[in-house]
Amino acid sequence: MNFDSRKYVLITLFILVGIIYTLRIFYMQVIDDSWHLRAQEIAEKRKEITPPRGVLFDRNGKKIVANRTYYNLMMVEDDMKNFDTVAFAELLGWQAWQVKKRFRDVREGEGTYYNKHTGKRTSNYQKIRAYPFIKEMTLEEIARIAPHLENFPGFYEEVTSMRSYPFANGANIVGYLSEVNREEVEEDHFYKPGNNIGRAGLERFYESELRGRKGIKYIVTSALNNAIESYAGGKYDTSALQGPPLKLGVDIILQAYGEKLLQGKRGCIVAIEPSTGEILSLVSAPSYDPNLLIGKRNISSNYPKLVLDQSKPLYPRPLAAEYPPGSTFKLLNSLIGLQEGVITPESGFPCNKSMVGCHDHTSAGNLADAIKHSCNPYFYAVTRRILQQGKKKNIYADAEVGLGLWAKYMHSFGLGSKLETDITGLRSGLIPDPAYYDKWYGHHRWAFSTIRSISIGQGEVMLTPLHLANIAALIANRGWYITPHFVKSIGKSGPDSLYRKKHFTMVDRKHYGIVIEGMRRVVHVSGGTGKRAKLKDIIVCGKTGTVQNPHGEDHSVFIAFAPMYQPKIAIAVFIENAKGGGGLWAAPTAGLMIEKYLTRKITEKEREKTILEAKFTYRE
Amino acid sequence: MRQNESLVANVDWALFAVYMLMLIFGVATVYSTAYNEDHPNLFDFSQKYGKQMIWLFVSLFLGLMVFLIDSDIYRKFCVPIYLFTLVLLVIVLFMPPVNGARAWLGIGTMGIQPAEFAKIGTGLLLARFISDVNVKQQTSQTVLLANAIILVPMTLILLQPDAGTFVVFTSFLFVMYREGITYDPLILKLVNAIPGVKFKQTWVGSHFIPILFVVVFLSLVTLLMSNEKISFGFLPGVIFSGFWSVMISLTIFAIFLSLVSRLIASKRERNRASLIILIAYILATLLAAIVNYGFQGLAEHQKDRIELFLGLKEDPDGEDYNRNRAMAAVGSGGMLGKGYNNASVASVESNHVPESETDFIFCPFAEEWGFVGVLLLVGLYMFMLLRIIMIAERQRSTFNRVYAYVVAMILFYHFAINIGMNIGFAPVIGIPLPFFSYGGSSMMSFSMMMFILLKLDSQRRDILN
Repeated sequence: MNFDSRKYVLITLFILVGIIYTLRIFYMQVIDDSWHLRAQEIAEKRKEITPPRGVLFDRNGKKIVANRTYYNLMMVEDDMKNFDTVAFAELLGWQAWQVKKRFRDVREGEGTYYNKHTGKRTSNYQKIRAYPFIKEMTLEEIARIAPHLENFPGFYEEVTSMRSYPFANGANIVGYLSEVNREEVEEDHFYKPGNNIGRAGLERFYESELRGRKGIKYIVTSALNNAIESYAGGKYDTSALQGPPLKLGVDIILQAYGEKLLQGKRGCIVAIEPSTGEILSLVSAPSYDPNLLIGKRNISSNYPKLVLDQSKPLYPRPLAAEYPPGSTFKLLNSLIGLQEGVITPESGFPCNKSMVGCHDHTSAGNLADAIKHSCNPYFYAVTRRILQQGKKKNIYADAEVGLGLWAKYMHSFGLGSKLETDITGLRSGLIPDPAYYDKWYGHHRWAFSTIRSISIGQGEVMLTPLHLANIAALIANRGWYITPHFVKSIGKSGPDSLYRKKHFTMVDRKHYGIVIEGMRRVVHVSGGTGKRAKLKDIIVCGKTGTVQNPHGEDHSVFIAFAPMYQPKIAIAVFIENAKGGGGLWAAPTAGLMIEKYLTRKITEKEREKTILEAKFTYRE
Repeated sequence: MRQNESLVANVDWALFAVYMLMLIFGVATVYSTAYNEDHPNLFDFSQKYGKQMIWLFVSLFLGLMVFLIDSDIYRKFCVPIYLFTLVLLVIVLFMPPVNGARAWLGIGTMGIQPAEFAKIGTGLLLARFISDVNVKQQTSQTVLLANAIILVPMTLILLQPDAGTFVVFTSFLFVMYREGITYDPLILKLVNAIPGVKFKQTWVGSHFIPILFVVVFLSLVTLLMSNEKISFGFLPGVIFSGFWSVMISLTIFAIFLSLVSRLIASKRERNRASLIILIAYILATLLAAIVNYGFQGLAEHQKDRIELFLGLKEDPDGEDYNRNRAMAAVGSGGMLGKGYNNASVASVESNHVPESETDFIFCPFAEEWGFVGVLLLVGLYMFMLLRIIMIAERQRSTFNRVYAYVVAMILFYHFAINIGMNIGFAPVIGIPLPFFSYGGSSMMSFSMMMFILLKLDSQRRDILN
């Protein structure tokens, strides 16, 4: 018997194992990257350096959002030796049980997360890892503790950067930061637990710019978690890069003054530079000091109070509160009427109080005077002519065509939808169109008489104060507007092309003159409803509004721009539940704001005092 | 003078070159893995690489000695050599244990492991025994004696205990198979005990060893797979139970084999080959089914014990720590590796992979050199193994041939198990990677093994029988 052929059994075995191993290793090393990730998890520590956020400047270069250094007291359980709870509590000024409780919280809280795959809360707390024992201590707080930390191995301080607000104003513009939640960490790999994220306002809208670029250091670590060396000689390391500064169009002095004027009241002031669309101030009253929401400790003690406050200080009213515009709306109906040719500047309508009430004044013989008096019957007549142009025989069909056209005009004024302003929390307001009323009353079941309150800015029409200010701006510009926005430039670039584009309204430039003349008479001619906005050397063009409020006193509204030629500021003031009409409270407030912005001085001290002292009561 | 000339001329320089190349790669890997910034000198004897250099030179010196001695003494003195290694294996059992095993003879770190040298002694005696046997007239005594030669040192090694070397000793069975040592006398005694049965020869008996290995291997694979879920990469979303994965693999393998047999076998042999494959396939599936359902009947904790015993329980930071870390190190190497001296997982300093300079030396190598390096290493080993088989087959003397097969099989076992445990294919039993792993005993024993082979081969023409 010959056994020579049996050598092939062995040769086959060798070659087979060689090939299988090679394929297996090829799969492990080249195709499957899970082992690569596992190796990173095991041996490479990715140390992230979070840069300070980009800072915010106002239009005059004043820093309104800055950064300040804080300190975290970190703990590594494995490094603690002979830990003396009582002595440590004494150092911190705590009770011993508080220290023990905090330990428990760190162990149970800091490392746990919701595991999507298992559906359970999983703890990845590790004794060798560092966790913050106390977060966000000020320099004074840490300075007292730091020299004694050498007696407590396992504890050390770590520098961290947080916001500070040199002016306590503009909280609803800038927003605030808070810690990311688990979903945000999972959604965006930029964030690690404990990182901050913009929660509201510009901080949220410009989050991706402000957060900057994280620095990353790759370190090779040993099984005992000691850093050994930088990975691959630092080849993959990147340095941290602070977010670029944002320059805002906001005038912090004006903002602060506006907030002061509205103290004790609820309402809004929005001021825009008409030629650029830059928002000069956006006052929401009541507001809060943004310094109250810096860091976890402050947020946990102050945020609940602010949320539960009945006056809703966190609510950005100028962006999100939707009000009927009241008589300010008559300006737009006038413009549409002129453009449609259904009225002329010389049209006169009697002040006939049969359909709607009006205050006592002589019947207006022309449009400018009608605006001056804010004559309700006059604008009923104007709007009836717009809506019922007689293009169809059936008055219902005619009203449908008319309202459709009217709504189109309104949309061209930027109404009825969210403006593309660079902030979150915007609301769209409401401009009713035929479909809207069809839903309420049925098709061809409504005509002008059914919906006549839209003539005077009541009824279904809803605008935000930002919309109102934009109306003032587009009238000041005589027929166009640039979307109101906060940020002029990000670093060296800007403004965004979105904020350089002029939006033209459907009303020709020539028709604005007479409406502006009417607005001048509102303020500067005797019998005008807005005479309290009058300034000595500046021609203010304005329009009052008194919004009927079924829940309490009427709201006081005023929109204006100044000066009449080459306007520098367009403004809307809305004061809730103010006793008396737009002329009484909103108009003088607007006047003071305009004077403050244009001259930085206040001449009408008496007027200012009245406004500052005014307090209105609110039914909750 | 003439003798020396022919000696030089007859040395298999190709094998010697691969051996030297591996030693250089090995020392380079140990140097990189155990690198200490404060002692950068390769010849710093306080460091592992310094010591490895000593072992390297000692090994080469021993090799020179081997070359100067006439090769006839291995044949003549194989019994005393075998007995000497057995005595060492007995003595070592009375030494204080290191890491739980009484495997070290000597003081501290400079000791030797007799088990490494027992391989040579056993290999020589087995070669002598087989060369004296007339394979055509085997009795039960033949196979029993051959097994006894292996079993005695194996038993002593198991007492240390050293599971790795114990397993390596089963490599001798393959050598016996190659040489035609048959289990038939034993099998026939059993089979013919049944009344009316009168076999002269059984297929199972003559192929007993490969069959035994296939049965053990298949049983183990089935055992391990029995409660796993396996998905096949080429069928997205399709997941089979482990048992069905085994069945599918068996079927694919059987089809593959029959296709291959059709290609290489003559017409007459084809039908016979197909029949053998069919019977083997049926038996294999049957075995897998029995193991699978038998295993399912086991209680949960018994399953765990078996899996833990085999070192294959998945538990990244627990029982399976070493293997998981080792695989992470290998897998993170990528195509081109992280570069020499850049292993982040497997370096001794980081200590994520324990024993990375000895049993897990393949980790830092694969991590630093990537798949390209692995290809080179596997290629070198394949070349070495096939070259040794080539050398074996050209020997005139049976003794030389058997010895050469012993060397090939031992090296193959070390290669397959050591790399296998780095890539999750073999249980973690600590055996070194020849010529790479740090350690004096393994380097000296493998070098001596290699030099004896080279010497025997160089004198192959002097032997007439």
